[in-house]
Amino acid sequence: MAAAVQPINTEPTYADVDRGVHRIMDPPGLMFWAWIGFCATLVGIAAALWTRQIYVGLGVTGLRQPNMWAVYITNFVFWVGIAHSGTLISAILYLFRTRWRTAVYRFAETMTLFAVLTAGLFPLVHLGRVWNAYWLLPYPNERSLQPNFRSPLVWDAFAVSTYLIISATFLVMGLIPDVANARDAAKGWRKTFYSILAVGWRGTGEQWRHFQMMYLLLAGLATPLVISVHSVVSWDFAMAQLPGWHSTIFAPYFVAGAILSGVALVITLIIPMRRLLNLEELITPWHLDNLAKVVLLTSLIVSYSYITETFMTWYSQDQYEVVTFQARYFGHYAPLFWLMVWGNCVFPLALFSPRIRRNTIWLLIITIFVNIGMWLERFVIIAGSLASNFNPSQWAIFRPSITEIMITVGSFAWFLMLFSLFARYLPIISMTELKEGIQWLRQSLRDNYYPGLPRE
Amino acid sequence: MSAEIELVGTFAGEEECIHAVEALKRNGVAFRVFSPIPSEHLVHAIGHGTSPVRAFVLIGGIAGVLAGIAVTVGTSWEWNLIVGGKPVVSWPPFIIIMFELMILLGGLSAAASFFLFARLPQFDPIPGYSERFSADRFGIAVECDEADSAKIEAMMREAGAEEIAHEDPRPEPAEH
Repeated sequence: MAAAVQPINTEPTYADVDRGVHRIMDPPGLMFWAWIGFCATLVGIAAALWTRQIYVGLGVTGLRQPNMWAVYITNFVFWVGIAHSGTLISAILYLFRTRWRTAVYRFAETMTLFAVLTAGLFPLVHLGRVWNAYWLLPYPNERSLQPNFRSPLVWDAFAVSTYLIISATFLVMGLIPDVANARDAAKGWRKTFYSILAVGWRGTGEQWRHFQMMYLLLAGLATPLVISVHSVVSWDFAMAQLPGWHSTIFAPYFVAGAILSGVALVITLIIPMRRLLNLEELITPWHLDNLAKVVLLTSLIVSYSYITETFMTWYSQDQYEVVTFQARYFGHYAPLFWLMVWGNCVFPLALFSPRIRRNTIWLLIITIFVNIGMWLERFVIIAGSLASNFNPSQWAIFRPSITEIMITVGSFAWFLMLFSLFARYLPIISMTELKEGIQWLRQSLRDNYYPGLPRE
Repeated sequence: MSAEIELVGTFAGEEECIHAVEALKRNGVAFRVFSPIPSEHLVHAIGHGTSPVRAFVLIGGIAGVLAGIAVTVGTSWEWNLIVGGKPVVSWPPFIIIMFELMILLGGLSAAASFFLFARLPQFDPIPGYSERFSADRFGIAVECDEADSAKIEAMMREAGAEEIAHEDPRPEPAEH
């Protein structure tokens, strides 16, 4: 864009990397606090509505037989899915030594942590008696009650809690060397704050030796974990015999969808931040191009899953399945279904074009549609399948109440508020890893990714 | 023999630092390296072998599996649900719990053992450390006698040290 033409430094040094990241951590201005205040207001409204729901009961929601799972569980699955991109980019691509990962992985990892935190709220929000949530965990109690380990909901409690703890550990461990860098550059209360978080890291040979082993093994453990978590989430549905849920392809289908939505949200957040915080020299079109390729690949896998699911229904000729799928394609939820197909399958095909992959406006639009599509996918599977169960006399359409809508909006505000605060106070880009692969960053800046821009 | 002087060599790049490490090792000089990046080449050049963190992760992982078996099989034996002749201990769903606990305890062991071996938290100052070593410079600190300092300084300069500072090996504790 003509207004943003600035000379690009194609030979950034370690000091340039530090300067770029420290600039993000400069004391934020009024606009930032206005944004945080806006998000906090929405979170406050959601919290008030949840409090009312706890007091009055689940009758304030649109949850009625047979639609006892709907928006809250959709949000749960959506946010767990968003979390997956972080582990994909930080752990799986780390094991593959992917070069473009270094500039964007902390973004994705931070998203993971806050997305799992957000997701973890929804099973609680969905409980009629939230004060009994701890019954899912095995603990000694006077009535000698233990959870049934054959229940997918108990698997879920274990998988999501493990995911939260391990992704937080992975993020915090990776932060230590970068926070030490921030400590050495900071003054005042920030120096004290970063000194505590850096736990005295000095980057000695010994410290790096243990750090590298620890990081490698955490990445190795997080990789199967990420696949297991969304598989377990998918089994919440697939283990039930409901038409539209009872399917063997749900685990890989959900994992691919999770990565699709997660990487799409990484792009959606990176593009405005990159512009607002002048990060063009650290996050280049090369990084966006590669992220877009991941979106394209996972979109194709998700499209294939939709086709397989439909084929299996047709081939089985199971009348209940057929009716459920007819309702999905042509019934009450059909507009949502076809918007989902557009967002997840059709629109991302534009990413086959390198010009689109490097155009931030198009990327932003496509990834927003992907996220709308992925939210709708979960809604159509959950609410759509429950709406037409085995017994036609029970069939009913789900309509969300204002409580569910505002708690959903509040969850986005909660996520964005936490993410924004993290981004302004802690290193949202890994300086150490970006410096380690600085030759690839320089290469990407030298390549013809910035047509028409003057060079330094 | 107590050290009398602390030589701190500053290097602009990883390669120069690795050369200096190799030269010091060849001459049997004890040293401490500071690096702003996770350089595998540098860690390899220092050469202290594989980190024992991996053994702790293995132990943590095994403990997780055993905890998973204990909690699932134990629960099934204590409150057995005999339905239609199905087994009391049904392994397939239990493997999920074992797997998650393996990852959980393995991961936490990785973090805990890293803190243990890297001797963190460590808020006291480390001799030779400079704020530049977390930013854009590599550093090597050597505690030596005054008599050996010229020889060691020459080694570091030959490897490409930008500057070499002479410091007190026992600095005052920092305020923060």
